[in-house]
Amino acid sequence: MSAVLVVHGGAWAIPDELAEASVDGVKTAARKGFVVLRNGGSALDAVEAAVKSLEDNTVFNAGHGATLNIDGEVELDAIIMDGRTLNCGAVSSVKNIANPVSLARAVMEKTSHIMLTGKGANLFAESVGFSTVPTDTLVSEFERKEWERHKTYVTGVLEDFNTQWAHDTVGAVAVDSSGNVACATSTGGIRNKMVGRVGDSPVIGCGAYADNFSGAVSCTGHGESILKVTLAKLILSHVEQGESVADASQLALQYMGERVQGAGGAITVSPSGKWAATFTTQRMAWAAAENDVLWSGLDPNERKKENLN
Amino acid sequence: MMPVVVVHGGAVQVPEERAEITISGVCSAARSGYLVLEEGGSSLDAVVEAVVQMENSPYFSAGCGSVLNVKGEVEMDAIVMDGKTLGSGSVSAVRDIANPVQLARLVMEKTSHAFLTAEGASKFARSVGVPEVSQESLITEYSRMFWKKNLLMSREKMGTVGAVAVDKDGNVACATSTGGMPNKMEGRVGDTPCVGSGGYADNQSGAVSATGHGEANMRVTLSRLILFHMEQGQSAEAASDLGLAYLKSRLGALGGVVTVDPQGNWTSRFSTQQMPWAAAQNDTLHYGLNSGEHFRRSFSEQH
Repeated sequence: MSAVLVVHGGAWAIPDELAEASVDGVKTAARKGFVVLRNGGSALDAVEAAVKSLEDNTVFNAGHGATLNIDGEVELDAIIMDGRTLNCGAVSSVKNIANPVSLARAVMEKTSHIMLTGKGANLFAESVGFSTVPTDTLVSEFERKEWERHKTYVTGVLEDFNTQWAHDTVGAVAVDSSGNVACATSTGGIRNKMVGRVGDSPVIGCGAYADNFSGAVSCTGHGESILKVTLAKLILSHVEQGESVADASQLALQYMGERVQGAGGAITVSPSGKWAATFTTQRMAWAAAENDVLWSGLDPNERKKENLN
Repeated sequence: MMPVVVVHGGAVQVPEERAEITISGVCSAARSGYLVLEEGGSSLDAVVEAVVQMENSPYFSAGCGSVLNVKGEVEMDAIVMDGKTLGSGSVSAVRDIANPVQLARLVMEKTSHAFLTAEGASKFARSVGVPEVSQESLITEYSRMFWKKNLLMSREKMGTVGAVAVDKDGNVACATSTGGMPNKMEGRVGDTPCVGSGGYADNQSGAVSATGHGEANMRVTLSRLILFHMEQGQSAEAASDLGLAYLKSRLGALGGVVTVDPQGNWTSRFSTQQMPWAAAQNDTLHYGLNSGEHFRRSFSEQH
């Protein structure tokens, strides 16, 4: 059983000036995560490693480089799920934490709960030794400028909310050599979101889901639309009905477009190692590591192949 | 097609001395919700009304009467979902307001978001004129006693409340509200405000409101799971039983749901020993508490 890891760096109209860095970022994350699998690590360890890499990279809207809410602060959401046990950990609206995905894992492993939010999540983080980082270190120059620019938009433009606003959540899915699947998703949310706004990312079944019986999914795109159709669970319900991971993802994303006019993307992996990276937005930065090959893409139908050394 | 409102008051053991008042509470909530439908209101209006009633009652763990977190404070979660648009509104870890389900509806209707948490939820509440109430007004003797007992690891549970409805136009909706798990960690969020777990509504298949062990319901996204079965042709009752059976076989957990389909077929099912529930349809009030019970009373008997 060969292990597979797929990562995404967000489904949206990634501008050309960010394209190269985005693709480099997902490839780096895929390599980091795959090393874990190669060394016999679990799918859970691999997705955490991959997402941490993306959180640490300021090019993506997660951890470092996260987008700012309307008050100019960073509030982070993340989720991680173990397909073997259906155990899950999630945090929403947590502040000053560099790696929310690791905090989400700590919620899963060190508490009897699944989701912690706000101040409670931060108190927990402190209690288990997570260091807090000042907001400034999480905020990139780019995001600070974008926040200032969008402050002038907020009173007006909510149409085309879907397509124009950045949706660069990050995520990873994996299947390890034991056939266990796992997923993780992490985000700073929508730029200039209301204080305390929670999107799909940390909501189980929406931003992500993992089940050894069907597969693992991590989603990105317009959060409110993903919530409406419980996208991750919807994809896996098609897989359970016999669809391939690619068709299941396509069907679900199409449905989201038709039913609620929402665009997005998903990475999906099956317990037998089949995988897909699918999106209905203009672009999605993604990479997949399998055997000795690293696949990656950005534009629709693009699939580049290189050696995974 | 027969409009109906079905409510539950939590899939938990109800102490003997509170049985009557609890049943009376769900019956009253179901009737209030149904009255809204009779007066031309939507299923969304009906479920919100039913849940507001139970939040206002000190006998349910939602709004007033909510269980306390480990610090002895009230943090509440709620969701509403509109089966016509698939729109939803959720709040989590919200404090010092009387009706979280109403705030959840405001999130859905007055913002471009679907889910607000903690301080952000409170900030929004203030911005739309939702009055702040004192912590004390939400805490009852009973919930305080419960908290003290649970500090000693007694592990009892108290229930969430919820409702589903279908109106004369065939629109379905759900609403769920809770104080959460007794002595939960600060900031703990359960299934209630998570779309697909604590509730889901879709005009194409039906609506569900769930209760039980929050974390377990989340791990199987119980409400969405039941509706997947209905999409595949199962009846509301069979689908609900399949969902609860899966919860038990996969995770060893128990729970309860109220479920309705767009034609007005409904059910209340639970794998725990008790779940206070009531349904109002046509001229009849249905209700029960213990497993297997199904009492009926005609409305005209009441007046």
